[in-house]
Amino acid sequence: MTDAPAGIAAATSPAGDIVGSRNRWYLGLLLVAAPVLLVCWLIIYPILSAVVQTVWLPDGAGGHAFSLQTYAFFFSDGYSLANLWITLWTTFVCAVLLLVICLPIALYLRFSEGRLPAYVQALAIFPMFVPSIILSYAFIRVMGPNGMVDIILNAVHLPKIRSPYLTPWGPVIGLVWDHIPLTVLILLSGLGNVSNQSVEAARDVGAGRLTVLWHIILPRIGNSILVAASFAVLGIFSAFTIPYVLGPAAPEMMGPFMQRTFRELYDPTNAITQAVVSFGFCIVFGLFYVRSVARNQRT
Amino acid sequence: MKRRDFIVGAGTAAAALALTSRTAMAEAGRIDWYTSSDQNVLDFWTNVVQPKFQAANPGITINMVDGGDNAGLQAIAERALAALGSSADPQADIFEGFDARQPVGAIDKGLWVDVKAAGLSNYSKINPLALQLDGLPQNLPYRGSQVLLAYDTTKLAPADVPKTWEALVAWIKANPGQFIYNRPNKGGSGGNFVRRAIYEANGRDPSVFKVDNYSAEAGAKMLEPAWAMLQDLAPSLMDQGAYTSGNTQSIQLLGQGAVTMIPAWSDQTISAINQGALPETTGLVQLQDLGFPGGFSRLVIPSNGVNKEAALKLADFVLSEEIQSAVLTELGGFPGVSWDYVDAALREKFKDVIPASIPVFPGGDWEKAINEGWYRAVAPNVDPNS
Repeated sequence: MTDAPAGIAAATSPAGDIVGSRNRWYLGLLLVAAPVLLVCWLIIYPILSAVVQTVWLPDGAGGHAFSLQTYAFFFSDGYSLANLWITLWTTFVCAVLLLVICLPIALYLRFSEGRLPAYVQALAIFPMFVPSIILSYAFIRVMGPNGMVDIILNAVHLPKIRSPYLTPWGPVIGLVWDHIPLTVLILLSGLGNVSNQSVEAARDVGAGRLTVLWHIILPRIGNSILVAASFAVLGIFSAFTIPYVLGPAAPEMMGPFMQRTFRELYDPTNAITQAVVSFGFCIVFGLFYVRSVARNQRT
Repeated sequence: MKRRDFIVGAGTAAAALALTSRTAMAEAGRIDWYTSSDQNVLDFWTNVVQPKFQAANPGITINMVDGGDNAGLQAIAERALAALGSSADPQADIFEGFDARQPVGAIDKGLWVDVKAAGLSNYSKINPLALQLDGLPQNLPYRGSQVLLAYDTTKLAPADVPKTWEALVAWIKANPGQFIYNRPNKGGSGGNFVRRAIYEANGRDPSVFKVDNYSAEAGAKMLEPAWAMLQDLAPSLMDQGAYTSGNTQSIQLLGQGAVTMIPAWSDQTISAINQGALPETTGLVQLQDLGFPGGFSRLVIPSNGVNKEAALKLADFVLSEEIQSAVLTELGGFPGVSWDYVDAALREKFKDVIPASIPVFPGGDWEKAINEGWYRAVAPNVDPNS
């Protein structure tokens, strides 16, 4: 409390303005220091330590030496590569399906009025409140063999479907359903940038629906699409519960594969190697996101 | 200034509260009970054991804590081990679903009570099979469970059910798509089905697998024939080689009528039938040439718990006929005592699932080799000759 009068004096003196703004600049750095330090401690440091752990291996003589053998094993092992491949495939298919499903929903919610869109929005956001483990068991009930879909097909004398449960399509369907809310919300916020006037102006000069979508709406929400896609990719790449319950035993996605290597094969080094490889793929999409945010702030 | 005083005062009070709750002593007459088991076991203790025990022993209560899993109990046990020999209070009186072999060195340091020498009135009733499997006087086996075959009696008459491994394989191949087991690391029903195949490939002799006789050569020699057997079976399983990711999912598929037969834990299946998750028409059968592996769950009691005497009283109570019969009827497990000490009517009802012997497969390196080998050799459904 003793320094309070001096502080007040500095702020009120004519020269104090310069001192004050310098102080504020310093305070700003202090304010971001806490989150930056937290990120360094909880994210950057574990990443660096993980990378070091996978390349600085015991050399058998009691010491440690630089070695890329865990990576050489991963990229020469057909089983590991099949797991990486199914993860990339699932991620890609899910991202495409999400955009195809969510863009029409978001457009509908943005450009229609009344009570019905409110219900549609509630329905689109609903998956956010369903834990993925419950979703997985419900999926078995509905789309599993002899599930609800089969019962309905049977009632109208159609043959049974080949259930997607325990095939790579099981996790795709589950993950797409699970990620609809986030994707719709991001696209919807992007569509907020599209003014009604510009759409109406385009219509006035005779633009059809597709022309409006292609020339007026899509250019304004390109960024949001990129953000939505990177969020979906990051979430799906590291998914665990849905691929674990609904997917095939092999190939398995990277999430279950890492967990199994770590907890059931007691092999932390290879589990961390798998994690670093996954991280390498995710960082590409992370950079997309960061770049688009940075570009947004400049404009 | 007043506000600052208030904040300082409140902070001190909060810190004091946190400190006192951390150093709270275990209450005399309140047994601190920890479990590593699933919800159905916790429910059994909450709804059956606790009220009956507290009614029979006024003044003693049970504080039930879900330790999560084995790692959770191990942390509590390490706390008790650290407190051993000091006056510190471990705040733990009894562990359910634990093994006195953990933590390392606990037996040598005398952490666990020698229950055999503790003079429990019901100790002599324990099934000799359970004691023989365990061989440790500190472990008190009180309920058992074994994997067996659960099947749909509306599709398969009990008279035609396979009773040997060979007959089972023949049945699976004759009825493609009607059998499924789960991945061996994701639940004991599939895990013990795979282990039964490994026994079959090694002359049906459980004694050749010991916790300390694993080596890479032995693993290759003894496990690879089993992988070949299971690969051979794959095209006849549901969806030409699908594997569920847990015990519950297999039961769900049987319940939906998607398959006719699954390997399943006895207690989980009986609970599922009682709760209606599986229909009344579900049949249970054990292989007669050599049963599927299983095991007994144990109680262990730390020697430095404040309520050690009460915990021993509880352990004795759990072995009584009343609770052991409830293990069968309420929990769907096997009693830990010999079958002569449960209700005669129950004995008759469950005679098909009474095990004459329970093979127990060792953990450790064998478990790791099985988890790795099955995923690489069996799960991808790739013909090794192609």
